[in-house]
Amino acid sequence: MYQYAAFDQQVVEDRVAQFRDQTARHLAGELDAEAFKHLRLRNGLYLQRLAPMLRVAIPYGTLSARQLRLLAHVARHYDKGYGHFSTRQNLQFNWPRLEEVPDILAELATVQMHAIQTSGNCIRNVTADQFSGAARDERVDARPWCELLRQWSTAHPEFDWLPRKFKIAVNGAEEDRVAARFHDIGLDARRDASGEVVFDVFVGGGLGRTPQIGSRVRAGLPWTDLITYLTAILRVYNRYGRRDNKYKARIKILLRALGAEGFARRVEDEWAQLAGGPETLSREDVDRIAERFLLPAFEALEDDPAPLRAALAEDPAFARWHRNAVRPHRMPGYASVVLPLKYTGVAPGDCTDEQMDAVADWAERWGHGEIRVAHEQNLILPHVRQDALPALWRAAREERLAEPTVGTVADLICCPGGDFCSLANAKSIPVAEAIQRRFADLDRLEDLGELHLNISGCMNACGHHHVGHVGILGVDKKGEEFYQISIGGDATADAALGTILGPSVARAEVPDVLEDLLELYRARRAPGERFIDCVRRIGVEPFREHLHGRTDR
Amino acid sequence: MAALIVDGRRVPDGWTWLREPVEDPTALPAGDRIVPLASWLAHGERLRALRGRTGVWLAVDEEPEALAGALGGLALVALHFPAAADGRPLSSAVLLRTRLGWTGELRALGDVRRDQLVYLHRCGFDSYLLPPDEDPRGALDTLSVLHAGPGRHYQPDVRSREAALATRSRQAV
Repeated sequence: MYQYAAFDQQVVEDRVAQFRDQTARHLAGELDAEAFKHLRLRNGLYLQRLAPMLRVAIPYGTLSARQLRLLAHVARHYDKGYGHFSTRQNLQFNWPRLEEVPDILAELATVQMHAIQTSGNCIRNVTADQFSGAARDERVDARPWCELLRQWSTAHPEFDWLPRKFKIAVNGAEEDRVAARFHDIGLDARRDASGEVVFDVFVGGGLGRTPQIGSRVRAGLPWTDLITYLTAILRVYNRYGRRDNKYKARIKILLRALGAEGFARRVEDEWAQLAGGPETLSREDVDRIAERFLLPAFEALEDDPAPLRAALAEDPAFARWHRNAVRPHRMPGYASVVLPLKYTGVAPGDCTDEQMDAVADWAERWGHGEIRVAHEQNLILPHVRQDALPALWRAAREERLAEPTVGTVADLICCPGGDFCSLANAKSIPVAEAIQRRFADLDRLEDLGELHLNISGCMNACGHHHVGHVGILGVDKKGEEFYQISIGGDATADAALGTILGPSVARAEVPDVLEDLLELYRARRAPGERFIDCVRRIGVEPFREHLHGRTDR
Repeated sequence: MAALIVDGRRVPDGWTWLREPVEDPTALPAGDRIVPLASWLAHGERLRALRGRTGVWLAVDEEPEALAGALGGLALVALHFPAAADGRPLSSAVLLRTRLGWTGELRALGDVRRDQLVYLHRCGFDSYLLPPDEDPRGALDTLSVLHAGPGRHYQPDVRSREAALATRSRQAV
């Protein structure tokens, strides 16, 4: 965990005071709704269909037990007893009162948290691998670089009034778990031949109405040049990005207009003026941030200790959970544990205050006090001793956080949809629930294996339907809600956008269609082949034909 | 009434802001004037020869690089904000200060709002023509804080070219 310096703390407290003043002026009628809108958005506050929504930043998805307890307190005291973890590793409260928001922000500041730039046309919360510092396949720990970017992008004087929102993700592992190719800027950190950190820079990826895979504009950028290079990208975007149409204002549209090469050339021309300048990073700059990360004091342990082996042998339910929710750790004798926030009948990503308190307790007892938020809307204990896994499993079952459904079709990503969001064309949460009810059998889920199902209630794609192995998009047809099904999407380094299978279907039919798709997959898969790999191998056409046959039956 | 604030103080506005191109500089009214970029580039010599001071203003889609080599004889450069949330003039200001070498008065025109001043100030503006519905007292309050010290920010502003993180480390305890 990064520990704020006094300076970091003051920046956050200054911001709370500034927003308190702005809110008071708005409530007194001195700041009109339009002017206030830009200010409140930059402090995480939306005013939408049913109530305000406050989005709290969880920088690169990392939380301490103390921070999670404070979030539980906010949920209890200012909200209706729960919060919603989003696909960008943030936490949303759906029912805060406008007058109380400055108080909530002041409470967050007491545990080194804030809501700065979680919305608005500015650089948003930087996301990272939820297993950073724990994953076996990690090349570079992304967190210090994310913190450096958090600081650089906070209230940036030149880049806080961009044409549109701007999202950055940093991957540091072999497997890309951050969807780097679907961000405005995706950074792939690796080490060069001499062991120095370098970044492959992808620009212009994104979903929404114009889904696009990011283009690599620079390979092997030395870490010393990270800030100057990002400044060049942001400056080109701030100057030349479209501002006349919000649906054409993201950097991906500028990149498409200039062509990837033309865009890269402009960036390089600008960077030529900045390279070696005052914002070039020194070793000291980076160390100063890295030193503020308190790293767990791992003990020298062996993998597969006796208590774990015994529990695996004795209890099939535990063994199933262990196969499903436990991930390898870079340290022997440790593991990372996924706690899915996907309990059937509850909106994906929702978490009660009691669950938050419980997870904070487990993190302190068994997990070095750390919690992560995954963009799949799950919580993670990154550093758990393997001999504590049976006790953690029993505790997590009590809180309904031990469903062995991680990475399965039941572990779906879903936007708030028409139940909460004023942009949505269709509801998404009831679709998620119907699918979870249909696929409730654990043997069947395990047999179907890894499958990412993503649901969005409209083409803005907050549920990332384009990159789901199966994607479901809510559409409005003459006032009725229909759902368009696609397959073959992939958010990892094998980036792909899904292909639409045919005409959209009514809500009640969605689970049937999904069942049909998975029936064909089971018939055609090679041994051990995942759904997405099967789709890649045999193509989309057999699935399309299979569904077509279905309507004829 | 529109209020002009320069270097943190409200001052009388003796400038005529010419929004339309100047066809004939000799026909201009007496006094100081701010002319469009195209007029300055077309008639710079004649404008320099006139009595009174000349400033130039750039529309939001005009590039400050057009002023490279053409800053001599100008008393001020002004950048227009069509909307407060349009951040393009912020990049123009930074380029004027850090790349084109403009050290004179840099004025913000258009939709200039109190809550934006911190960004403008840090990008190098030192002069603000507020719209008539913006209360100058609030803006002066905000600016008095900005002028009292560099404030707590992670990035270097154009006034101090020190590295961002070095600033942070000095203040870190």
